[in-house]
Amino acid sequence: MPPQLPQLMRWSCSPNVPSIAPVTSFLLPFLQQRSVSILSSLSDNPSAYNKRIRRGRGPSSGKGKTSGRGHKGQKQHGKVPRGFQGGQTPVEVVKGERGFTNNFTPQMSVLNLDRLQSWIDQDRLDPSKPITLKELAESRCLHGIKDGVKLLGRGAEALRTPINVIVSRASASAIKAIEARGGSVTSRFYTRPSIRRILLSQTPAYAGQAPDPTSAEPFAFRLPDPTSRKDIEYYRDPAHCGYLSHLVPEGEGPSLFFKIPGKGKDGGRGKMVVAGGKAISKKRSENRIW
Amino acid sequence: MEPLRFKYYPSNHLHLPLRRDILHRAIVYEGDATRQGTASTKWRSEVHGSNRKIRPQKGTGHARLGDKKSPMLRGGGVAFGPKPRDFSTELPRKLYDLAWRTALSYRYRKGELIVVEDGVEIDYPKTRFVKDIFALNHWGNPNGRSLVITSSFRPNLFRALRHAGEDGRVLMEREVDVKDLLEMGRIIIEKGALDGILKDHQSDLVSKVKRTTLDV
Repeated sequence: MPPQLPQLMRWSCSPNVPSIAPVTSFLLPFLQQRSVSILSSLSDNPSAYNKRIRRGRGPSSGKGKTSGRGHKGQKQHGKVPRGFQGGQTPVEVVKGERGFTNNFTPQMSVLNLDRLQSWIDQDRLDPSKPITLKELAESRCLHGIKDGVKLLGRGAEALRTPINVIVSRASASAIKAIEARGGSVTSRFYTRPSIRRILLSQTPAYAGQAPDPTSAEPFAFRLPDPTSRKDIEYYRDPAHCGYLSHLVPEGEGPSLFFKIPGKGKDGGRGKMVVAGGKAISKKRSENRIW
Repeated sequence: MEPLRFKYYPSNHLHLPLRRDILHRAIVYEGDATRQGTASTKWRSEVHGSNRKIRPQKGTGHARLGDKKSPMLRGGGVAFGPKPRDFSTELPRKLYDLAWRTALSYRYRKGELIVVEDGVEIDYPKTRFVKDIFALNHWGNPNGRSLVITSSFRPNLFRALRHAGEDGRVLMEREVDVKDLLEMGRIIIEKGALDGILKDHQSDLVSKVKRTTLDV
């Protein structure tokens, strides 16, 4: 029982507390309250412990005669090599290895529209502000983002809020669903270090983002841009809502390799390099077919 | 001692049922995390020495031997000896926090939780002085020792109690763990320290979900 006020008051205020002392003085060694620590009586629930199986301890134990190892042979007495099938050829030689692991594949965290809408409904994401990797990670919508976030279209019919999302990649159905609700999608290039810095508020999640008003320091790092042709072409593509799509001139495709005929640097004509090293574009002959 | 005033604490802070299993798991978790795990021995490849064969394979009438560093020989390596490792185990945070409040509740229910005003300090840094205080209040060794918990460092109190280990200990709030709370006869704790402990260990009561409307 917790100490009650009337009892405590009586105990501390009553003047005749010492009056019982002479009576109990000879009993003191026996009346002395021993404080026994609870530590010695602590234990987990009995069901939390597994009883050790004692093998080879008689038939009534259930693991008596063969100790659970069956009858005779290598498996009873020791270990059998991995992939051993009897004979000479191991299983990996007979069957062969199939496939491989591509260590260079970016590991995209998958984000579906129904989860996004659920987070907005729970008031964990603010649809009035741009939703970036930082918002997704801080609201625990995504955990442990590695190389980026890919937005997918599951639950597109459930989406009803117009949102402004900035992610690494987006599927065509997700882009279609968000733009149908009046929102916008931007896909932006991120690398693993840049994602780490975004989560540490050391770099903006998109160009032109204002720094956090609570932290006085400006962003210490800039965001990286893609350098490989594959990435540049992905983010130049208006179909992916790429952030570099404004760099693609009117009427041209996102590819850096395939040019539209007649739109090349030299007007679609071939180059001829003379001995002096100067490139001279040939005059287009009138009767040229291509 | 008379109560100065009364304070309300929720029943899920200081009136939880005693769960010996949860306390046990918390104490085992703390004990595992406290282990140093620095024991280290040398395997035969790490012992300094030559790989030369000690004696010929045949013809000596003695046992076959290779190099001097065999674990069978004196001065050789240790077979299956300890290597530095991490003994720490894991415990769900909510369970650990529940154990903290269960331990405080157990103390409170037994009347062994004495909450005092903030700023506990004594006048002189003398062990004899603090021993007298403990004896007067029946807090000392014959009454099962006492743990004093303060929210920050108090020079006189800490210096005085440093050599009065037979009567009790003094710890700062951040140094305390569940086992400390259960070890001695009673806990004498500053109100600020108690509130701080309860605030830090309520993860099972408070949702961690960030709401955007609350931030604004």
